[in-house]
Amino acid sequence: MKVYVVHCHPIASSFTAASRDRVLSTLADQGHEVRLTDLYAEGFEPELSAWEHTNHLSSPDLKPAIAEHAANLRWCETLVLVYPTWWSGQPAMLKGWIDRVWVAGVAYELPAGSNGIRPLLTNIHRIVAITTHGSSKLVNAVQGEGGKRVVTRSLRVLCNRFARTTWLALYDIDHADQQAREAFLDRVERSLRKL
Amino acid sequence: MQVVVVLAHPNADSFNHAIAQTACTALREQGHIVDLLDLYAIGFRAAMSAEERAAYHGEHPALEPMVASHGELLRHAEALVFVYPTWWSGLPAILKGWFERVFVPGVGFVFNAKGKVRPGLTQVRHLVGISTYGSPWPYVKFVNDNGRRTIARTLRINTGLRTRTRWLALYAIDTSTVQEREQFLHRVDQRMRSL
Repeated sequence: MKVYVVHCHPIASSFTAASRDRVLSTLADQGHEVRLTDLYAEGFEPELSAWEHTNHLSSPDLKPAIAEHAANLRWCETLVLVYPTWWSGQPAMLKGWIDRVWVAGVAYELPAGSNGIRPLLTNIHRIVAITTHGSSKLVNAVQGEGGKRVVTRSLRVLCNRFARTTWLALYDIDHADQQAREAFLDRVERSLRKL
Repeated sequence: MQVVVVLAHPNADSFNHAIAQTACTALREQGHIVDLLDLYAIGFRAAMSAEERAAYHGEHPALEPMVASHGELLRHAEALVFVYPTWWSGLPAILKGWFERVFVPGVGFVFNAKGKVRPGLTQVRHLVGISTYGSPWPYVKFVNDNGRRTIARTLRINTGLRTRTRWLALYAIDTSTVQEREQFLHRVDQRMRSL
């Protein structure tokens, strides 16, 4: 299977980076074809520019800065996002990647005069989100689970109509001991083996 | 009242800029002291850096003078007004990054002795969100309006018990008429005058 992994954390020794490594080793072990984007490592710029906003419906061919990421999205069957949840959502770096790469001609098309978008990433049959939360599951529920809904709804509707989503989250990470962290990495591995 | 207006739109001739201008004018005419933070215009950097992440739980988490000065403004703010376009059901990356980098421990919230998050902005009496949406209302509700959740819930629980939240939304902006937009600006003006 073709799997596109997007990793977002500024620190190389973080638990999120350890999750990414477990994802990559499991996928390699299963013989999947993998492409990786490490947003911080490649110095991605998350701010959608004025030009990009003005030309948000223009062809993606005019946007070479996102060409490689867009090609990976069109190529993969499974998308894996690995990131920490900050302020109940994706870090700005990852949100900016969505703002700039999931554009018209890549993720959707907007028929003239319509408010309804038509999905283009019908090649994606599965989205896996692997994340950590500083707060508990209860607090996340009170906050409305914004990060989860971005994945399971906003992004999901741009993929194949039968696409499935898998949510793997370690809550309350500031109070998670070594054992809980290891258990989470094992859970990530088990889940990815079933892809 | 001390009011901080935060604007997140890349184009200076955008409708969001018109909203922010309307809001600032109305607030100033009511005698409030208004600070407008036009995040794109001041070149705010969206992504939290590795250095900032490493300093996050330390004594001085705000490393850049601009970030520290925004934190200082927040300490005295009695009303916070956010003006932004909703992209992929959430905050634009630059605004999401502003939350992550400015509302650090000691500014937006504090950790108590047990490491639990406690409100840090108890002097804030009003939270106002003003957003434009490409999608019509039912679709925005379906995808959970995650940007609104971030402000009305995640930020709200870090303010005082009696803080009031108001939301002004213009849905389906791509197909809105000039008249609808003018009505919306009028609504913004009225709401800001009665704050």
